[in-house]
Amino acid sequence: MELLTLFIILLFALGAGWLVQWLPQRHSSMPTYPQRAPFLGGGSPDTHAWNRYHVRYYPMTLLLIAFEMEMMFMYPWAVVYVEEGLKAVMEMGMFLAILSVGIVYAWREGVFKWQ
Amino acid sequence: MILNEMVLPIIVVLAVLVGGAYSVAVMDRVIATRLGAPRAGNPWLSPLTRGAWLLVQQANVTEAPDGRAWRLAPALYLALAATGLALVPWSETLVATDLATSVVLWGSVEALATVVIFLHGWSANAPLALIGAYRYVALGLSYLLISMFVLIGVALPAESLQLTQVVMSQEGLWNVVRQPLGLPLFLVVGLGMTFWGPLNLADSTDLAGGTASEVSGPPRLVWDVARAAMLVAFSGIAASAFLGGWLGPWLSGPLWMVVKMLAVLAVLLWLGRVVPRVAPERCVTGMWVVLLPLAFVDLIWAGVAALWQ
Repeated sequence: MELLTLFIILLFALGAGWLVQWLPQRHSSMPTYPQRAPFLGGGSPDTHAWNRYHVRYYPMTLLLIAFEMEMMFMYPWAVVYVEEGLKAVMEMGMFLAILSVGIVYAWREGVFKWQ
Repeated sequence: MILNEMVLPIIVVLAVLVGGAYSVAVMDRVIATRLGAPRAGNPWLSPLTRGAWLLVQQANVTEAPDGRAWRLAPALYLALAATGLALVPWSETLVATDLATSVVLWGSVEALATVVIFLHGWSANAPLALIGAYRYVALGLSYLLISMFVLIGVALPAESLQLTQVVMSQEGLWNVVRQPLGLPLFLVVGLGMTFWGPLNLADSTDLAGGTASEVSGPPRLVWDVARAAMLVAFSGIAASAFLGGWLGPWLSGPLWMVVKMLAVLAVLLWLGRVVPRVAPERCVTGMWVVLLPLAFVDLIWAGVAALWQ
């Protein structure tokens, strides 16, 4: 029941978002080619925008994956935390301490510098 | 039964989606005028005028875009905002999607928002839009962890990942007092999710509009509405997680929610107008080195407070 409601709301929002874009424009013509050149503040592009591009923050995204895996353990942990008491504190404390060392190391290596 | 459990919540969510987006536009204009920006027409009418103008304007196309993805991205962003709003409890019983794992679902909305915003900048096949998209991914991956730690913090005293349980656990004391670091950190996440004000790296003016620089007409309208709707959905989650949701004296539950959501929105929009935009390369360092450790502290604080009771 809950998921069905969510699904209906999702369909409504997606449908509305698509209809508002499609309905008013369905008979209008496309802009001319000179008008369709990507805006570059006066210049004209000499390559596709979808070129190979070195994303400088790439190592940061790898570090994020480590933490995202940790979140997977943290969700069930949060539910039983009060029940388990100090044991839960210890376990997650050790886990987070190890990950924090990872952050400090990554910081030293310049992972969070984006230049 | 079906009327109370399905039809009514659906109507409430869709009405708040549209009405909320409109009130964000009105409030932003009122706050801008109060802060001394030149007055641009009647704040109640000008969002509608702009919307009508965008609706009849020609939709721009670039030379070789990924056409379908370009139209899909704004609609998906709106759908994500609707999903977020569906999780918000208006009273003990009036809630569209009361999952046992609603906090996890909100986390996935945050993660998917990054994908959708990147898609919006990618599909135009224009350099400035793509730079905005790459910038957004850096921001999106940085605030994700802060948000997760802060939300785990509110789940600890509730012993549940269900938002209604999280609200119930605040009967004695709201989380904004019990975990003072939580709400400020979560507001940063809200500004990031909607790339609003100081964290507007994706659609900023230094990129001539960023991911939306090539977008005009009805797609632009959907994109702008979706952004405002996402801010509304975020304020609903923030009000439930930190400000006691529907709890409060005198007024009825849904009314309290509206008041609290408007308060969160007012703070966010005010911040968006007074704080300057952060430099993208500094924001990654700041999020990981300053705000993430603060989120750790918030989690420890929440944990100690939950055991103390």
